[in-house]
Amino acid sequence: MPRPTEKTITFTIDGREVEAIEGAMLVDAARGGDIEIPVFCYEPKLGAPVGACRMCLVEIEGIPKLQTACSTPVRDGMVVNTGTERVKGAQQSVVEFLLVNHPLDCPVCDKGGECPLQDISFGWGRGNSRFIEPKRHFVKPLALSPLIAIDRERCILCYRGVRFSQEIAEDHQLVLLERGASTFVATFDGHPYVAPFSGNIVELCPVGALTSRAYRFRARPWDIEGSGSICSLCPAQCNVTFTVRDERVLRVLSRDHDGVDDGWLCDKGRFAYQATHSDERLTTPLVRDGEQLRPATWERALAVAAGISRHAGSAAALIGGETSNEEALLLSRLMRDGLDSYDIDSRSGGVLPLELLRSLANPALQATVPDLEFANTVLLLDADPVDDAPILDLRIRKGARRREMQVLVASGRPTALDARAAEAVRHAPGSGANIACALDAALSGDTQRSATLARDGGADPEAVVRLANLLREAGEDIVIVWGERLTDGPSGAAAAQALLRIADQLGLASRDGAGLLELSRGTNGRGLREVGALPNSAPGFGEPQREGRGWNEIATAAAAGQVTALWLLGSDPARDASNGEPWAKALASAGLVIAHASTLSPELGAHANVVFPAEAGAEREGTVTSPDGRIQRLRPAIGHGGQVMPTAAVIAAIADAVGFEPGFSTGSKATEAVAEAVGFYAGLTSDEIGGRGIRWQERDAASALPAGTAGETAAPPAAAASPNGSLRLGTYRSIWASPEVEISPALKFLSRSATVEISPEDAERIGIGNGQRVELGSNGSQLEAVAQLRSDVPEGSIFIESGLTSVGLSATEGELVEVTAK
Amino acid sequence: MADLRDEDVIAVQRGPKAGVARGTYRAFGETLRGLKTTLARVAEKPLTIQYPEEKTPVFPRFRGRHKLHKFEDSGLEKCVGCSLCAAACPADCIRVVAAENDPEDRVSAGERYAAVYEINMSRCIFCGYCEVACPFDAITMGHDYELSDLNRSDLIFTKEMLLAEPLERTPLRTEDE
Ligand code: SF4
Ligand code: SF4
Ligand code: SF4
Ligand code: SF4
Ligand code: FES
Repeated sequence: MPRPTEKTITFTIDGREVEAIEGAMLVDAARGGDIEIPVFCYEPKLGAPVGACRMCLVEIEGIPKLQTACSTPVRDGMVVNTGTERVKGAQQSVVEFLLVNHPLDCPVCDKGGECPLQDISFGWGRGNSRFIEPKRHFVKPLALSPLIAIDRERCILCYRGVRFSQEIAEDHQLVLLERGASTFVATFDGHPYVAPFSGNIVELCPVGALTSRAYRFRARPWDIEGSGSICSLCPAQCNVTFTVRDERVLRVLSRDHDGVDDGWLCDKGRFAYQATHSDERLTTPLVRDGEQLRPATWERALAVAAGISRHAGSAAALIGGETSNEEALLLSRLMRDGLDSYDIDSRSGGVLPLELLRSLANPALQATVPDLEFANTVLLLDADPVDDAPILDLRIRKGARRREMQVLVASGRPTALDARAAEAVRHAPGSGANIACALDAALSGDTQRSATLARDGGADPEAVVRLANLLREAGEDIVIVWGERLTDGPSGAAAAQALLRIADQLGLASRDGAGLLELSRGTNGRGLREVGALPNSAPGFGEPQREGRGWNEIATAAAAGQVTALWLLGSDPARDASNGEPWAKALASAGLVIAHASTLSPELGAHANVVFPAEAGAEREGTVTSPDGRIQRLRPAIGHGGQVMPTAAVIAAIADAVGFEPGFSTGSKATEAVAEAVGFYAGLTSDEIGGRGIRWQERDAASALPAGTAGETAAPPAAAASPNGSLRLGTYRSIWASPEVEISPALKFLSRSATVEISPEDAERIGIGNGQRVELGSNGSQLEAVAQLRSDVPEGSIFIESGLTSVGLSATEGELVEVTAK
Repeated sequence: MADLRDEDVIAVQRGPKAGVARGTYRAFGETLRGLKTTLARVAEKPLTIQYPEEKTPVFPRFRGRHKLHKFEDSGLEKCVGCSLCAAACPADCIRVVAAENDPEDRVSAGERYAAVYEINMSRCIFCGYCEVACPFDAITMGHDYELSDLNRSDLIFTKEMLLAEPLERTPLRTEDE
């Protein structure tokens, strides 16, 4: 969908001629003339203005009554007055009315000092009150949710929070109850407002009615400093500002970036900063002493890690998703050039041929995040943004709500966007590749092949055809959002090829606003691939000196004794891999296990020889690359807690101990080294990246990306197992499944235990009810979980939560498991 | 020095040399003029105060060491930890860290209270802005000015010290003084 074009007009405000964009609201247009019109309810991020508070009244010549500047679009030749006696009188009256029921308990109010109501009362109010009658009273403060406190006396009924819940997050939980002066904000039946994005209402509230319980009474605006960085908890890489007082992070605010987060944050990003200062976080190095990991000095820990030199040639490194480009490059250099080991991987799903990686990275095929809002159609292929990169869920909803964008879904697990979708195709878990191939066949008119493939993938063939038809008529700009899991396993290459062919058939490469967008598993999944943290690629998708083993082969080789040392850089394979069991074996057989972690999972606790404390998000420095290729900077907001050292410095120290000189370790030197190593990042400096990041596809150096081909056509994916009494296993990683959530006091209540989502039909057949404990069994391994009946789960499939420390089922996506009541 | 040019040299202008009479006046006359002031004070009583045994009384509005106050009836602290004093302080020497009151065991009357309240007396300039800023009259300036200590960190007064009744060592000036 073409983005709206902007036309400039001139209007007069307070006697000044000012240029403005036609159709802009007067409030925004007035700013061009340096005139501030006070507002409470107006917030462009929330969509169309509602004119609820009347604070923005202005006089427009030719209109007898005062008008609300927030909801009056500016027109050519308009004459506006904001300073007349009439306007002033109206403003004073509105402030007086707002304060009629306001407690004005600023000294104990958390908003004090950064409160628009304070500022506006001071700037536009009467200065004294004529109101002597009793004010309305509510019980206060109340917990609206474990994260948010509500003080209804302070509420000025601007509707902002309610609009967020209804129209942005679309969780439809917050409502206004009662009428007139008794109106108050609440959930309908008083249940706690728990939702993935609830924290945004704290930032939206213009008064101290909705405040963060985690930040409650922690500081005043003059006690704190803001420090901009990036949230490193998921691939969305939202821009954040850390609020710092006395070297402690006290809160996280959004740092509005249109191209990334659209000004919102999810609750994980907003509250998981608490993990930084949690007592449960590791802050000293640990070294194995017999059965136990014990705190040790840095010298001792580094000396143990330096023992990796004895494993030269048989060491392997797993690079976790949160690793920065610099750290990944440093470690892979050390592994390849210093330790002669080529077994490096950052993708847990399996190795994709280099040619395909190059083709998928093609700048012409790349959709940007804002495209999600302006496209005609967005297709989700085995991806659920709300869990994979939460903030993008809001972007897609925005497009669908405001621009009537069409949403299409094809996934194993029901997604949060199903309700918005024109067509939602369900397939068997782990069979995304079949559906991609079926869709490709359907688009090229081969209905028969499409039907076979769809049936193999456990999907309704007609639904796939309908999807293809919708796509054909979907308009020019189509964005396909695909999850990394689509390219997992042996059929990964087939899926990637199908994806490329679909893109080709729909002509995505030729349109600016169309393309593919991959949601990787790790925060920096894209960057890690581009700096060559892969077994089959050099930095910048160059030809590798030698090919190494991939993620799963490393596990087998370690169990077989061919890989003797494992370096887990922020990766906890028993937790990250969908199938943790082989990793438990691999860790047990490896001679040396080096880990970087902020919490210990049972597997690391049992097998790691040395554990280095990992840096927290607010302590980190480096660059990461977002799913659409935006290179952004992590900038340290606070010093390192406890004895924590920068990860890059630890790697450099170990490199030093084994006698390898990588040539860089931390700081802007490291960024330069990355720019030098990755052809298409060439010339990139920290200054150029700046606070807003830069997409490498938009730089001249992008042409240095080696062109890819589709390669030989891969064998079609195998058919999904037929349930036949057992159930197909699907896994998903919810936004709350992360160590940060587990150790953040505010978020603990959301941390997950093993649950299994099951369709009511299957549950009835097996004889289990909602909330009942069940046992899953496969290949001789067992897992206990709590059953959760979900009506949109397709019959024959179950979904268990991955990313938990306790999942030890020896089965991969799509395999069959037995479910029995316990 | 050799290349000094004429315009670089500034000649000092001196007055004419004093004659004998003028010289004598300079030596004795000026001395006598000074002695006149000295001798005139011989008859007066000494003004020296025998500090520290004796102290100068201060005006009631003298701004000395701060005091934090409690409500007399309930015994609750008046300070709610709003940090307004810290915002007003031009020397940036007040540190307030607030916390939430436990309704069962209140510290202050409001929702919040000052868990930490510190004034760094070595930085304070005794301007009294904190007193003016406080919405609850929780902090006021006392009369004590004897604040010296042997250790800089002892000059950071904690909430307990500020709440405690200070030893009133400074006499107040009476009406007619
Ligand atoms: S919302 Fe603003 S005006 Fe109202 S009590 Fe809080 S700080 Fe004061
Ligand atoms: S969406 Fe992702 S990057 Fe954004 S705040 Fe949430 S966890 Fe952080
Ligand atoms: S008297 Fe002035 S300098 Fe001293 S603490 Fe108060 S505001 Fe600060
Ligand atoms: S002394 Fe007064 S101004 Fe300072 S924190 Fe306490 S209540 Fe606020
Ligand atoms: S800002 Fe215009 S009515 Fe609220």
